[in-house]
Amino acid sequence: MATQADFKDRQFLAVIGDEDSITGLLLAGIGHVTQPPDNQKNFLVVDNKTETAAIEAAFERFTTERKDIGIVLINQHIADRIRHRIDTYTQAFPTVLEIPSKDHPYDPEKDSVLRRVRRLFGE
Amino acid sequence: MSGAADREAVFPTRQSLGIMKAKLKGAETGHSLLKRKSEALTKRFREITRRIDEAKRKMGRVMQIASLSLAEVTYAVGGNIGYQIQESAKSARFRIRAKQENVSGVLLPAFESYTTEGNNDFAMTGLGKGGQQVQRCRETYARAVEALVELASLQTAFVILDEVIKVVNRRVNAIEHVIIPRTENTIKYINSELDELDREEFYRLKKVANKKARDTAAADAEMKEKKAQQQLLLESGQENEVPAAEGPDTTTDILAAEEDQDVIF
Amino acid sequence: MEGLLFNVNNGYIEGIVRGYRNGLLTSTNYTNMTQCESIDDLKLQLGPAYGDFLASLPPNPSTSSLAAKTTDKLVSEFRYVRANAVGSLARFMDYVTYGYMIDNVALLITGTLHERDTRELLDRCHPLGWFETMPVLCVATNIEELYNSVLIETPLAPYFKGSLSHQDLDELNIEIVRNTLYKNYLEDFYNFVNNHPDMAGTPTAEVMSELLEFEADRRAINITLNSFGTELSKADRKKLYPSFGRLYPEGTLMLSRADDFEGVRLAVDGVADYKQFFEAAGLGGGPGGPGNMGGGSGAEGKSLEDMFYQKEMEISKGAFTRQFTFAVVYAWVKLREQEIRNITWIAECIAQNQKERINNYISVF
Repeated sequence: MATQADFKDRQFLAVIGDEDSITGLLLAGIGHVTQPPDNQKNFLVVDNKTETAAIEAAFERFTTERKDIGIVLINQHIADRIRHRIDTYTQAFPTVLEIPSKDHPYDPEKDSVLRRVRRLFGE
Repeated sequence: MSGAADREAVFPTRQSLGIMKAKLKGAETGHSLLKRKSEALTKRFREITRRIDEAKRKMGRVMQIASLSLAEVTYAVGGNIGYQIQESAKSARFRIRAKQENVSGVLLPAFESYTTEGNNDFAMTGLGKGGQQVQRCRETYARAVEALVELASLQTAFVILDEVIKVVNRRVNAIEHVIIPRTENTIKYINSELDELDREEFYRLKKVANKKARDTAAADAEMKEKKAQQQLLLESGQENEVPAAEGPDTTTDILAAEEDQDVIF
Repeated sequence: MEGLLFNVNNGYIEGIVRGYRNGLLTSTNYTNMTQCESIDDLKLQLGPAYGDFLASLPPNPSTSSLAAKTTDKLVSEFRYVRANAVGSLARFMDYVTYGYMIDNVALLITGTLHERDTRELLDRCHPLGWFETMPVLCVATNIEELYNSVLIETPLAPYFKGSLSHQDLDELNIEIVRNTLYKNYLEDFYNFVNNHPDMAGTPTAEVMSELLEFEADRRAINITLNSFGTELSKADRKKLYPSFGRLYPEGTLMLSRADDFEGVRLAVDGVADYKQFFEAAGLGGGPGGPGNMGGGSGAEGKSLEDMFYQKEMEISKGAFTRQFTFAVVYAWVKLREQEIRNITWIAECIAQNQKERINNYISVF
């Protein structure tokens, strides 16, 4: 079970997404860069050139290494690229949330949580 | 559950019978409590799942509106501001904090969003052109993120509840299908063993009583015979006037008496 | 008089540009576009106007790639015209590109300040603001080097000189830098069209003055409105106002003192057009209200920004009623830019399924 200590420090959101999603979410004010010398950002811009390994690394960093992130937002079409990682991710903290992007409308069939919901109700 | 084989390793004594009975009682109470907890959680769980389903669908819509407001910004500013935004992001204005909610003894975390005052990384963005759209876009996205945070809370609750319900159901099933039958089996076993012992004891006692009766009867018969003999002796002694008390005298007397008898016969 | 010799050097260009102008989408085209159900339909509608440029797009392309391709067409046409331009028209067209150049330099400054690899940024630069020596700027690793190379390598040097030092680039918000540059650029351009012997007193000067004055006023008003609630002081704000335009000097002075939407409204009261805009936008409410472009919540009125765009397009359209003027080039670029914005907007509305706001485009033909 998650203990109090496990999430009380988690106060940021992290995003892995395409440029438009990131721009919008940053405009909302979720962007955060840690103090130097780390200068760790809590967002990763993914385009066609970004390697899958880089996405995985960022996912790993946001979910496992950093202890100050409570919610990881990830564009669904990017989540598809690392689907096996998302599907095997079962921790409660940080929460991984798949969000639609501008050019890729939301498809509930692919969402790992919704699929679990479906499975539970035997649909 | 293969009958007698599945029971606890206890000595079939009255004391352990008492312990087992207490245990059974405890298990039954626990079972009903857990069952109720599981039901409460499942109810909650279903509610959450329904809300997640709705929220996820709603999110698609919310994000579309937000995307459109970003398109407005691009329209008004006349260029892409993405890079500038990425570079000027420094400190999160929009943060979350986790609070807890108690559902049947399970602590469900819920995220709550708040905005820190007084740091605005993008105040100047679109100063010459499109600033108002940027402001609007920020508000729209802030609302969208709030919706996302809410959804994230639901999802976290979903994951945790899912886990907890599984654990609780496992316990309920364990109690129902393993612990209770096993305890019952143990009690049955102890009872049967104790009954067995009782029967054995009874039989033994009966045997002893029989033997005792037989022995008493034998002793009685002997006594009777002895008594009869003595009686006889006494009768003849009266004639011979032999005192029964004195040994040597008796011996001599007996001899004498034989002689006497001989004499008689 | 100017008509006598204009066509010797510039007749071809003017003809070409007028031809391009006739190729702009009309309101009938827009009406057809708003009926589209998907981006593919939209692409089909754009076929006659943009055919070749859209051919390479995949089915159902993203709106950003659509916008990129339509911009490509503008860029290639502009380059063609530029290549055929001579003399003062060539200089005039260079001036048109400086505005984009300022944005590109601002982008590079941002990148350098954050110690990013600025080479990646070259892709993001607006192609119209591209200049041959731009990659040289990427060599700079710190802001001082960048400042020096900007001074040496770009035509923007005069805009930096005298108003910005390399420390300023480091300390000031990039938006202030950008707007300072833009102010200097507008003043310089204004000066150029009014004082260059080839243009002074010609229709070019007349039309361009109107366009640039409008642009200057628009920027002044926007800066004022957008600076409310930020750390930009009134004195600093005043420095960003171009020193010409229909509002200058009294209106600008009043703008510099304005504290709220009302103050801005008072400042522009002297100019009938702007007054009208503010009256229309003012109905929407206080300073928070006027910003929305048709707005998600209050979709009734047009925003100030919309009305400015509308006005700009009308002036640009008007420029084509004049003959023997360079201003048609400027006007054509602006009209085409608006067309790209319209297409992008319509495409976004289709992609995001927000048809109710699809009619927020601005069409003047």
